[in-house]
Amino acid sequence: MTKFIPGLVHTPVTPFKADHAVDFDAYGRLIEFHVRHGAEALALAMHCGESVSLSDAEQRTLLQFALDKVGGRVPVIAHVSDSGTGIAVARARNAQDIGAAAIVATTPYYWTPPPAMVLEHFAQIGAAVRIPFLILYSPAEMPGTRIGTDLVLKLISRLDNFAGVVDASLDWQFMVNIAWTAQRARPDFQMLSGTEYMVSAGALGATSMFSALAGVAPRLVQRLHQRCRKEQYFEARPDQEAISALRQIVKKGGFAGLKAALRIMGRDCGVPRPPNAALNAPAQTQVAAELDAFAPLRDEPRGW
Amino acid sequence: MQSTVTPLKDDFGPDLATFEKLVEFHVRTGATAIAWPHHKAESLNLTIAERKRFAEVAVKVTAGRVPVSIHVSALAVEDTMELARHAEQIGADAILAITPYFWNPTTEALYDYFVRLGTSIDLPLIAYNSPSYLSGVEITGELTRRLIERLPNFVGMKEASFDSEKFTEIARVALAMRPEFALIAGVEWLAPSVPLGGAGSYSSAGAICPNLCTHLYEACVAGDWPTARALQYKLARLWDLFRDQYPSSLKGGMVIMGRAVGPTRPPLPTATAERQAYIRTQLEEMGILDTEPHGW
Repeated sequence: MTKFIPGLVHTPVTPFKADHAVDFDAYGRLIEFHVRHGAEALALAMHCGESVSLSDAEQRTLLQFALDKVGGRVPVIAHVSDSGTGIAVARARNAQDIGAAAIVATTPYYWTPPPAMVLEHFAQIGAAVRIPFLILYSPAEMPGTRIGTDLVLKLISRLDNFAGVVDASLDWQFMVNIAWTAQRARPDFQMLSGTEYMVSAGALGATSMFSALAGVAPRLVQRLHQRCRKEQYFEARPDQEAISALRQIVKKGGFAGLKAALRIMGRDCGVPRPPNAALNAPAQTQVAAELDAFAPLRDEPRGW
Repeated sequence: MQSTVTPLKDDFGPDLATFEKLVEFHVRTGATAIAWPHHKAESLNLTIAERKRFAEVAVKVTAGRVPVSIHVSALAVEDTMELARHAEQIGADAILAITPYFWNPTTEALYDYFVRLGTSIDLPLIAYNSPSYLSGVEITGELTRRLIERLPNFVGMKEASFDSEKFTEIARVALAMRPEFALIAGVEWLAPSVPLGGAGSYSSAGAICPNLCTHLYEACVAGDWPTARALQYKLARLWDLFRDQYPSSLKGGMVIMGRAVGPTRPPLPTATAERQAYIRTQLEEMGILDTEPHGW
């Protein structure tokens, strides 16, 4: 059984205290906020949750904490990526053992292995578990290693639990190739949008959407997803444009921009861990001014 | 919209007689506009004098039945300016221009370039955004906004990033300022672009399968997404097939469809007999040979 359609997947940030320790009080509130505001699944800790700045032990603790907090209300997808295949494999096994519904992994950090070793990396991670296994493709973040349909087809032939690709490339050719080529080999195979650009992805066959901005504007994100799920792409255009505009405001500051936006919405999750810097005061003021003037946010929840 | 290839004789010289037949074929098989010479027409392998002669033929053969746009981009900006003036003189309906080749201009330099070009003529100007082919040099939503403010004749964009975010950002800005602004996907990526306000596409495969291109457009406009996805996939396969050494494989495919247009100028290769045989197997597998017109 590989069919896994998680729907609208919220990807929470990881709150930190002033001393850079994980702020579990805030994390608990944040998880609860996501579940109450439209998350049909959670994926954590993704890159927007600063996974690469968390130790292996912290990632395991966070996952356990989230699973306890969610209590089975929605599926939790565990992000297990790492540079080393063995480290990612162990993290994947742990995720399954403690109750994750699925795992997701991206290409190895830093290294640019040859295609055969990229295949081996993913094959070993996927083979370590029985729960659904997703690949995240994010070439803008990791341009050194490409994923193509060849790799996906080979993984389908090797892994019964290889359930889909989460696309953050935004590349139409890649998406259509995945959606059609892979689904001919495995009809249950899913293409999932790794960002909120769901109109184009849905029209090309994506069935689910990962959203970091759901922490900022959950109603807007939910409305976009619901319209796209009904294939009402023309009707979804205003919400798609609004989310794109929101993304442009937030992404100027990177992870710090996302956390700044959360603070402005009354959900303080601290600032990023080093080496990612917090926004300086003028940048923070600018984000606040732009969000204040951004009409679509007026209907969004403030506070927890 | 059909952007035609450039027919060449066996000695690589211009084949204007076949070009006339090709333009006529496209108009007769449903092209809503003729565009020449995009990169598939080997624009950068033609001399400026040759480009002028072909442009004159395109305008003459089309004879006002559909609009004709002329791609004026050249390595030297001064040549671009000259081609734009020529397009206006011969009665073309619009010009198209990509961001400058080779150099990596700043955003300010891009703005100045398009303003200089757009104010040098009265014709409508269509900008051409292709960041993946030009080292990431791109026309952003913000640059689009400034150009629309400055240029009343800036009427559209050939958008060839094929990227959801880039397309959405340009559409969001441009259509709010100028609702009639025509965002045209660089090749037949209609399913992901039409719901975002895309007006249509230029065609890579139109010389092979004009019926398929028309059906995809109709399915997208009608919101028939299951049909659109099936047709989009077929056209994506064709794009994969033809973009290899573009446009030599496309010209090879045209031989199979009974519309031979000669070789491709070096440094691009000409499709070999083996390559043509492979293209034939792909076209057969996709049912193109049974559903699309053969010959002129």
